[in-house]
Parts: sequence; structure tokens; C-alpha cells
Amino acid sequence: MMTSTINTANSTANNNRVTVNRVTTLKSSEKRSDQWSQLLISVGENRDRKAFAQLFKHFGPLLKGFAHASRNEGWFPGLGDDLVQEVMIKVWNKAAGYNAEKASATTWIYTVARNCRIDMLRRKSNTQHLPLENEDFWHEPDEETPISLLQQKRSEDKVQASLAQLPKEQDQILRKVYLEGKSHAEASAELGLPLGTVKSRVRLALQKMQIIVSKEAQE
Amino acid sequence: MINSTNHHPDENMLIEFSAGTLETAASICVSAHLHFCSSCRAKLLRLDQVGSQMMSEAEPIEVADNAFDSLMEKIDTSGIEPVKSTPNVDLPFSVNKLMNTSLISKNWKRLSSSVDVARFKTGQEKFEVALHKICAGGKTPKHGHEGVEYTVVLKGSFSDEDAVYREGDFLVRNPGDVHQPMGAQNGECICLSALSAPIKLTNPLGFLMKPWLRINPM
Repeated sequence: MMTSTINTANSTANNNRVTVNRVTTLKSSEKRSDQWSQLLISVGENRDRKAFAQLFKHFGPLLKGFAHASRNEGWFPGLGDDLVQEVMIKVWNKAAGYNAEKASATTWIYTVARNCRIDMLRRKSNTQHLPLENEDFWHEPDEETPISLLQQKRSEDKVQASLAQLPKEQDQILRKVYLEGKSHAEASAELGLPLGTVKSRVRLALQKMQIIVSKEAQE
Repeated sequence: MINSTNHHPDENMLIEFSAGTLETAASICVSAHLHFCSSCRAKLLRLDQVGSQMMSEAEPIEVADNAFDSLMEKIDTSGIEPVKSTPNVDLPFSVNKLMNTSLISKNWKRLSSSVDVARFKTGQEKFEVALHKICAGGKTPKHGHEGVEYTVVLKGSFSDEDAVYREGDFLVRNPGDVHQPMGAQNGECICLSALSAPIKLTNPLGFLMKPWLRINPM
């Protein structure tokens, strides 16, 4: 335990638990629901190159587009191709740990891409050694309540539909935050809005999409 | 995994975490909280779905015809074995990694009769990131904050004038806040903290506690 020396705390910390892969027994209705998740499962379980090629064909151009949407410090023209390569290598290597009951393939790949993009930009603009990268903040705890692919597909369809209905200024702020990769403070400086306004606008947009529950509604 | 946390990061912090724009020190603390808090993990998944939809709507850009082949070649020649994830049940991954790679010293340093500190080197210049250990029943000096401080309880509990904070609880102290944390009677308490400016002692004998006044962003 964490007592006299800090080192001793690590002995208990290394009691790693083996994750159980439960994705092999998907219902047939779920198999049809999300082809990307199915392909990713196939890559994880069978090192399926054909499935991986299909994922690459779909996600490659999206990842490159995501890289080019970045307006962050450190951006460079080759970021797109570098990001595609780095993300897809991680997808190949980590696919065995992918659990379809925690997130869909699209959401899982987004988190890999988000972390890679910020880490690549930080490496470019920061010469100092960073012991922690964004990737290290991402973790896969065991959830008690698995979410079926079907449920996830439904909630993602809702996200897509509600995003399309956002008023322009709310849509704009979400794009700044998620696509351009701007912090709230940077968005506030760029848009000439007080930080508080940016914060509440982002929250309003997500409340409208029913992603977060408004404080008023909770009380 | 337990979920008894009562104090959470606010929604904007989770949003910035989900978008990958939250600064490093705050991200370390949020990720530590997420390790303990399933309700914030569920919120984060919903926010990540928004990010994922945004990525799907980014203007796609064609990749070179041979991009896939050269990728497979790179994978085949790299010799990197695919990894199975091995989650750590005791400590948040980011904290565990910091403890293995970035401790300034392998031993606790005494700050006061009841508080020890172990500082991390995290490669950013704004915050000092450290573990603090308060001994059972230990009183810390009453102090005020000039900058912002994030704290996550990793083990045990402590209390101040407002509440009792238990494993996983996430606290923000803002400039101007004054408080006097006290360790629980039944065991030591270990907290992760990220501190942006020196704290000010309000105890008239505060000068005896000089180490409290130094922060070392690393």
C-alpha cells in the first residue's frame, strides 16, 4: 500500500485484471446494426485483413479530413497522412481490446483519433519531453452495464439528427470545440465572446441535443 | 468499480476533456476521477459520440492509392505485437504511469507534521502536479489559494469546513478560497492535486510551513 516509500504502491497497482471478451456472442439483429463495429471485432479476433481494408477505406478519408479541420498550434500540411497512418496502426494493434458493449467502432476510433491528433500537435510544438500523452487519459474500465450495439446505434442516430437541427451559432461553437480543437478560452478569444458565454453556449447546444441534462431540469 | 463519488468535474471540463482540449494537468485529474466515477464515464461516452459524429461530418479527403499497402507493410515489418488491454483496478492509469515514470523523488517529502508530498514532472509549466498524503486525523495548515487547484481523492478521505471527500471525489479550489483540510481519523488519505499558484497560509505561524509556499511546475 502507499506507505513510507511511494514505490511500494505499485506492487498492488500491478494486479492486472484480465478482460473478458464478450463480443463473440452478438445477436444476429445486432450484427446487422453496425457494420463498422462488426469489422473492428473481426480485426480484433482474427487479424482479418480484408475487414481492416474496409475500415481503412471508410475511416482513412474521414481521419484525414479530421486532421485538416484542426486549427491548432503546430499544424503542418503532412498531419493528415501522418494521422491516418498513426491512428490505423493503433486500431490494428488495439483492436483485440475493443469491446463493442462499451462503444461503437466509430466512437472508439474517434477517441483514438482525438488523442493522436492532440499528441502529434503537442509533440510538434513542444520540444520538452512529455511523460503523459493524451492517450494515457483514455482508459477502459469494466462497466457493469453493457450497452448493446443496437442501443448505441440508436443513440448515435439521435446525435446525428439533433446535431443537424442546431441553431447556427450553437453548431458553430461545437465545431470549433470538437473539429478545430479549440479550448473554451481559445474559442472565446477568437469569437470575441466572454468565456462564460462560450461555456454556456456549448452547454446549451449539448442540452438541446439531450447529451447533457440541464441543471434546471434536474431540480 | 465503485461509484460513491459526490463531487464531480463540471460539464465544461468534461466537454473539453472529450474534445481533447483540456490542459494536461486538469486532464490528469479528470482522468483520475473517471477511474472511480461511472456516471461521469457514461456522460463522457455521450460527449464522445458527439465528437465522433463531428468527425464523421468532417470533409473527407482522399488518401493516396498506395496508402493502405504501405500501412500494412509498416505493420508487418514493425514487429509490434497487438496489445490486449490490462486495466489497473487500483489506480487510475495516468496516475500509475506518472508514478512509474515521473516521480521527482522515490520518497515522500515532509511538508508539515501531518502532510507529505511527492511531486511529478509532467512537462508543462503551469501546474505543479503532486500526490499529497495526510496522516490519519492530521490537520493541515489553514490556507488560501491564489490560483486554481484540482484535487482528486485516491485513497481514504478528508474533510474541510464544507464536506467530507471520499475516494474519487473531484474538487476545484478557486482563487480566494480558504480552507483547512483534515485527514479522516480512520486512516491516511492520499490525494492527487494540480496546483497553479502558491497557496497563502492564513495561520500567523505559517512561516514555519514554508514548503507550502513553493510550487514547482515541472
